[in-house]
Amino acid sequence: MHRFLAQRFTSMIATLFAVSVAIFLMVRLLPGNIVDIMFGGDATASPEAKARAAHELGLDGSYPSQYWRWIKGFVDGDLGKSLLNQRPITDILRTALPITIELILLGLLIAVVIGVPLGVISAVRRNSASDYVSRIGGLVGVSIPNFWLATLLLLLFSRVFHWVPPLSYVSIFQHPIQNLEEFFMPAIAISVFTLAIVMRMVRATMLEVLNLDYVRTARAKGVPRRRVLRRHALRNALIPVVTVVGFEVGVLIGGAAVVEIIFGLPGVGYTLLNAISNRDYPVIQDATMLIAAVFIVVNTLVDFVYGWLDPRISVG
Amino acid sequence: MTAATAAWTSVRRRRRLIPARWRNPLGLVGAGIVGFCVLTALVGPLVWRTDPNAPDFDRLKGPTWAHPFGTDDLGRDTLARVIHGAQVSLEVGAVAILIALVAGTLIGLLSGYYGGVVDLVLMRLIDVLFAFPGLVLAIVIAGLLGANRRNAMIAIGIVIVPAFARVVRAAVLEVMGFPFIESARALGAGSLRIMVRHLIPNVVAPLIVLTTLYFSTAILSEATLSFLGLGTQPPEAAWGNMLATARSYVDQSVWMSIFPGLAIMVVVMGFNFLGDGLRDVLDPRVGGGVGDVVTKA
Repeated sequence: MHRFLAQRFTSMIATLFAVSVAIFLMVRLLPGNIVDIMFGGDATASPEAKARAAHELGLDGSYPSQYWRWIKGFVDGDLGKSLLNQRPITDILRTALPITIELILLGLLIAVVIGVPLGVISAVRRNSASDYVSRIGGLVGVSIPNFWLATLLLLLFSRVFHWVPPLSYVSIFQHPIQNLEEFFMPAIAISVFTLAIVMRMVRATMLEVLNLDYVRTARAKGVPRRRVLRRHALRNALIPVVTVVGFEVGVLIGGAAVVEIIFGLPGVGYTLLNAISNRDYPVIQDATMLIAAVFIVVNTLVDFVYGWLDPRISVG
Repeated sequence: MTAATAAWTSVRRRRRLIPARWRNPLGLVGAGIVGFCVLTALVGPLVWRTDPNAPDFDRLKGPTWAHPFGTDDLGRDTLARVIHGAQVSLEVGAVAILIALVAGTLIGLLSGYYGGVVDLVLMRLIDVLFAFPGLVLAIVIAGLLGANRRNAMIAIGIVIVPAFARVVRAAVLEVMGFPFIESARALGAGSLRIMVRHLIPNVVAPLIVLTTLYFSTAILSEATLSFLGLGTQPPEAAWGNMLATARSYVDQSVWMSIFPGLAIMVVVMGFNFLGDGLRDVLDPRVGGGVGDVVTKA
């Protein structure tokens, strides 16, 4: 087990390094020099002004020294300033990250809390009406664009229930109720795809597990049906679901970026998209790195949990 | 059993066997939807001759006989714009998939065939691409390259490459263990010949399935990028940017928000159905229904 943990941890560090290099190069190998783009073809700009801008952007010196300064900035919590409003990037990201994390956790929660029972019901009552309804629902769920769903939800609530979510963001620690009023629609919008995947996954593994000998043995011993389902079948059926969670967090992060724009939640995705439309390169670079880092760390954690749930994995 | 009845049962069995394999209601529905979408993109503008960019005084209208899908904020016909959007979606999907197909097959083939250092380097590269949430990577690439349709195609293609590369590599590794590769080599076949004549034919089936399933991902991603202003630019109609415009007019006309979204959903569903159906028919090894969309970005 310890060897497994160490191995996964090393590979996480290696991936983080490789990804940071990729992002670093992506921003620099663009067609056109960033400083020139910033000065917008202003031929009269003095070389000194350009050099100063390059320094502020961390674009002077050799690539390795630039890279080192950037990574050091991440560790020290000093990433320089946004080109757009001169706010320290560390501050921007620090306020944005909790919003995105809350959105992803809520989305995941909805997907699991609804997806797992639906999958179980679907598997246990195979080919019943409820099975067909949830299977078709699942197929629709993976096909519906989340930004359209968000629009439809907003429409539904404003037209039918005459209610619109509050527009300015408040933290869950200050106003839990208002915070959830703001978050539930975007969370539903991003959760639907994941919900459908979780449901299909649970259904398929449940069907497999229910046919295994130990389930039949438990039934034959006279263990009540519900107990067999919960203690014997579902427990094992949930193990593969854990692996999907790692991947699905990536889907949820992507979804979060889109719905943050729609609902005006200033999360990391919102920050990234704003930076892209304003050509704010330092923020693009740092926000992308932050998102990738969160995704990589989550996937490593998922591997740990998986290894803990299913000892066969860490041995092999 | 007489010869006659034996012949009869064999005929009957063959008749039952072949269609049973292709009898996949969901897959057929998917094929129908995809076929209809392709047909709409190809001949739609000939049947519905309204110019998708011609403004009118009839702004923000609901469905009427003159405008079955209503009109938008500039009085342009939504049906004509949805038809144009179908062309855009299919074009972006096709080009993005082509990029992923060519690059992914090449990487997977080289990686699986040569192994060793080549495999190590190429797979690290693929791992890096996989370490990003797919949509975020597409947003960043499209954003850095510049917001237009060509760059959106490139971005989506790059994001899908790893899925193709991994599947091809796995299939190649499996085939490489079979004796016929060894015999081909013993007969003096070179690397190129082995790859082209023996390896590629064995990865065609999973590639067809993957292409169909990822077509839906590509269309969904294109719509998302256009919605965010990173794909097809207005005034040209694409489903994503139509929905983005519709958001500003949602108080005046709900219809603007309905039809483009419906179009995306139906077409994406069509490709998903078709992909699932094709997998059942062509490539049952990939695991019926569990690993499917899960491997998708």
